[in-house]
Amino acid sequence: MPTVLLDNGASSIKAGIVKLQQEPPRIIPNAVARSKGDKKTYFGHEIARCNDYSELHYRLPFEKGYLVDWDAQKAVWDGIFSDEVFGIDTTSSSLLITEPYFNLPNIQEVYDQFVFEEYEFESYYRCTPASMIPYGTLFSQADLPPAECIVVIDSGFSFTHIVPIMNGEIVWTAVKRLDVGGKLLTNQLKELSSFRQWNMMEETYIINDVKESCCYVSTNFKEDLETCRADPKRNPIVQEYILPDLSTNRKGRVRQPDDILTDTDQILVMNNERFTVPELIFHPDDIGLNQAGLAATVAFSISLLPSDLQGMFWANIGLIGGNAKFAGFRDRLMSELQTLAPVDCEVVIYECDDPITEAYRAAFSFVNTPGFESHVVTRAEYAESGSNASRKKFHDWKHRESEKEKLKEAPKPKGKQREEDRSQAVNKISRTRSKPTTVTAPSRRR
Amino acid sequence: MAPKRARVYYAREANATTIQALAAEVIAKRTKRHLDELERSNYSAPNTLLTGEDAEEGHGRGRARQTISDKRTLNIPGTSPAAKKKKTTHNVRTALVYRKTLAELIDESKIANLPPDDPTYLRAAAPPSAYPPRMLCTVCGYWGHYKCRRCSMAYCDQNCESVHAETRCEKRVM
Repeated sequence: MPTVLLDNGASSIKAGIVKLQQEPPRIIPNAVARSKGDKKTYFGHEIARCNDYSELHYRLPFEKGYLVDWDAQKAVWDGIFSDEVFGIDTTSSSLLITEPYFNLPNIQEVYDQFVFEEYEFESYYRCTPASMIPYGTLFSQADLPPAECIVVIDSGFSFTHIVPIMNGEIVWTAVKRLDVGGKLLTNQLKELSSFRQWNMMEETYIINDVKESCCYVSTNFKEDLETCRADPKRNPIVQEYILPDLSTNRKGRVRQPDDILTDTDQILVMNNERFTVPELIFHPDDIGLNQAGLAATVAFSISLLPSDLQGMFWANIGLIGGNAKFAGFRDRLMSELQTLAPVDCEVVIYECDDPITEAYRAAFSFVNTPGFESHVVTRAEYAESGSNASRKKFHDWKHRESEKEKLKEAPKPKGKQREEDRSQAVNKISRTRSKPTTVTAPSRRR
Repeated sequence: MAPKRARVYYAREANATTIQALAAEVIAKRTKRHLDELERSNYSAPNTLLTGEDAEEGHGRGRARQTISDKRTLNIPGTSPAAKKKKTTHNVRTALVYRKTLAELIDESKIANLPPDDPTYLRAAAPPSAYPPRMLCTVCGYWGHYKCRRCSMAYCDQNCESVHAETRCEKRVM
């Protein structure tokens, strides 16, 4: 029985069919877009066909990270299952689909209903993207056993979550959410460039491309700000983005030194916008959002974990989600975390080549593990007990009772084992499991 | 020279007495509105395309409201309702036709009533920052060392102040 894999993100769906050989997933925009130019509506995968993307009007199934518009979502899913993309018979397939962290119970029921009542899948598994990461290769190091304590930072379109995982289980009491994601960053950039240069308020598509090609996370915000101030026209940071010319169907691009401009080219100058926009992940207070930055939130999340294991969490931090693609993201996080971590803890941050599809690839391995069939809910089970079947089987934040017990139990009966863990942690640390920026006695802030 | 300076000084004085700084709650409201704006998918007409896609159809009312998903002609293999355009179940139909906002869904889910130490969406937000907010110029993005006396938005120098006064000042204040 084939398994359909949907990493159902708020911005894009990473979709594929599980075979023996892993292929990169299809990345399908999770949106219904209406083009003002050709007056056509494009659903999900069709958006790639759209040539006139000026003033694209979006209808997104997700609101603030949660699936609320099922009509739009079904339109996109229908396209994925149809012969235009996979042409798969859902009634004789299995499905693995991701859901947001802390998904609401009433929304989860609708997931079940669509999967079994509308698409009639044979069986399905629903989980959060981070819970798949232990099955992937993000943390794996040659000759070392898989890390037992990890922190996954998932910085996506709607928000950024810090998700600690212990022995493969998410520690929900320590999961924290920062309300800054790619959507907010694009909108902020849209606002800045509309106020300072061209009115781009309707051009979400174009500005998103500007963001992806120009923006970076500054590793020295003060200095970069001064550089941009000193000479706004000519400095190492300033870039010119040549806006797309829709009449000749030419895409937008960053101007290279040898680019010769024609009279019709319109330029969007990217000066301090290049780094003040992604800066919001580290300083949400810049737009008045009263939340601590990413690094402080990671430190807070780790502080909620069992104190004797915290060192292991500090040494196993992994990045997934589209925002991790900003240049400088890891370095900045590293330098901020080092000032927050206890003196005797080493901070190690893992990253991968493609943070957007990492959860998909991990989920792919999960489906291919021998025990996968035991995790799924089957159509027969759903027919018998409805959503109770998935409530019983899927591990998510509502299964707190068991988690609580585990945390309570941990200190007593497992005392010996934990000491082993600790010595293992020391081993791991001494073997320095990544490109270590030599820790020069991190200074504590408080 | 002297009289001119005196006049300028006088004008500032006069202004200072008439300008009323905004109350803190008004500024908080403005910030919240700005943050809500940053969550929007589209700038204009935030709600028009949410129910019906084509203008001429508008938004039907009640049960017969049109959905966009069942108007497509797609070839999906299999015998599921989605593939065969069979009648969908009541649950699915309800979800398709009656769209709820996240706020309504949170309300409906009753996660607010769970015991206070249960982790939920509502309690997972990052803690507030331990440091006072950094002020950046709302015009050019440089450090904003000064605040507008009227609307307390930050600016960095006289140049940006005048831009602010001409374009933004009080515009977003209600």
